[in-house]
Amino acid sequence: MTTKSRRKGGFVAALALFLVFVAFAYGRDPAVDDGGFDLPPIPSASVEVSTQPLLVEAQAAPPPHRLSDVNGISRYLGVEQAVAARATPGFGAKVVARLSTRTPEGTTNVVLALQRVERGGQLWIQARLPILPNNTLGWIPRTALGGYNEVSTHLVVRLSSFKATLYRLGKPIWSARVGVGQRRWPTPTGQFYVRNRLTKYSSATYGPLAFGTSARSATLTDWPAGGFVGIHGTNQPTLIPGRISHGCIRLANADILRLDRLMPPGTPLSIVR
Amino acid sequence: MSDHLTLAQVDRDGALAETLDRIGPDSRAGFLRKGALLGGGIIGGGAVLSALFADAAEAATENDIAIANFALTLEYLEAEFYTEAVAMGAIRNARVRRFAQVVAAHERTHVAALKGMLGARAVAKPSFDFQGTTENEAKFKATAQVLEDTGVMAYAGQAPRVDANAVLKAALAIHTVEARHASWIRHINGAPPAPAAFDKPKTMAQILAAVGKTGFISTGPGMTATGSPPSFTG
Repeated sequence: MTTKSRRKGGFVAALALFLVFVAFAYGRDPAVDDGGFDLPPIPSASVEVSTQPLLVEAQAAPPPHRLSDVNGISRYLGVEQAVAARATPGFGAKVVARLSTRTPEGTTNVVLALQRVERGGQLWIQARLPILPNNTLGWIPRTALGGYNEVSTHLVVRLSSFKATLYRLGKPIWSARVGVGQRRWPTPTGQFYVRNRLTKYSSATYGPLAFGTSARSATLTDWPAGGFVGIHGTNQPTLIPGRISHGCIRLANADILRLDRLMPPGTPLSIVR
Repeated sequence: MSDHLTLAQVDRDGALAETLDRIGPDSRAGFLRKGALLGGGIIGGGAVLSALFADAAEAATENDIAIANFALTLEYLEAEFYTEAVAMGAIRNARVRRFAQVVAAHERTHVAALKGMLGARAVAKPSFDFQGTTENEAKFKATAQVLEDTGVMAYAGQAPRVDANAVLKAALAIHTVEARHASWIRHINGAPPAPAAFDKPKTMAQILAAVGKTGFISTGPGMTATGSPPSFTG
């Protein structure tokens, strides 16, 4: 065999090896469009990509993942299926609340997400709950909730100074004097969230606009619709600031309208002494 | 599937309808006056690419505006998908995470470029529900491949329909990058990066139908109520 023919034989062998490798690595080419076209159906255990078999790798459960930071981005989700919130992530855990899909006001019932864990292949979201006792947390199966929604705002109400301050990414962008609950009907303290927004109603008492919150009066437990604490306008602005309400946070009408332009529902709410 | 499929057939909650419906008064001149694109520096690649989209804004016909809004809707979807996937922290493989981070930045830039081009005529960003695909690495990889393949087919499908050359140039600048993304994620997934000698484009109707079926685009939670007085403690 000549040098030239040896070189040629080597090249052919190398090419054959390369083709074998490519064929082995990629297999048949199934991704050529044959007209079938679907984005993946929402998978419960596996996903299909067009006509291409997927590589779904077995992995250990990831560590807990934080979902909200009041100085950064906070996330809330709508309750899409009536569901039990549990004390720990697992279907056998104690039920702490049963959540419906709607609020008493008819809006989507949302929860503020704090963290996510995976247990036995199931994702669980730890969330603030709109229930008594205030500040209760619960674990909700991820599948009962809708998509993530983000806010970068955080409202802080300081009861002792009768002052509300709105922060965006940790920086104050608005503040106003407020009226809060009388001593016999105190505004509850703790960590909550704004869960809806009501407008165009006929009630001078609440001013032009009201935000519903996840906070609830611990004393007026028989109040209609559960005694939720609102943040709203008023027809008695001269009483602000002061301990004037049944637990709600009252603002002058101009202030609540300005707050409405800055604060989306879903915003975390801290009420402190 | 016919190109005559109506949006209503795939968009029952109306989230996609704005893509085709919101063709309002001309705002391109106002956009250029504001210098939102030329002076904003929002597009990677600098002044040349900024000028590319500014030229497209100037030349676009009504038909081109509709196509650009269709593209913007897909770019919103992709940008949100990757951004959320990165934020969810479920991607543990460094190679996949790098892909997600880079593509998230690209898709956000595509959104900014198209919004800049469309000005006030840009469709609003819809809400999204990625049904858990941003919270599981395997599902993320699979979905990313489909989304990128979809993006490539969508741009290929619309390119021949574009009226203005300036708009076509801008669209091609995105289209080729979508193709790179598709090859990248296909390589990561062990799928053929370039599966065929020719790509088959998909029509707008086919793309909207496929996206509509995923449920990824949603109306979001309804959190405002009107008419009924509050029953809060007062």
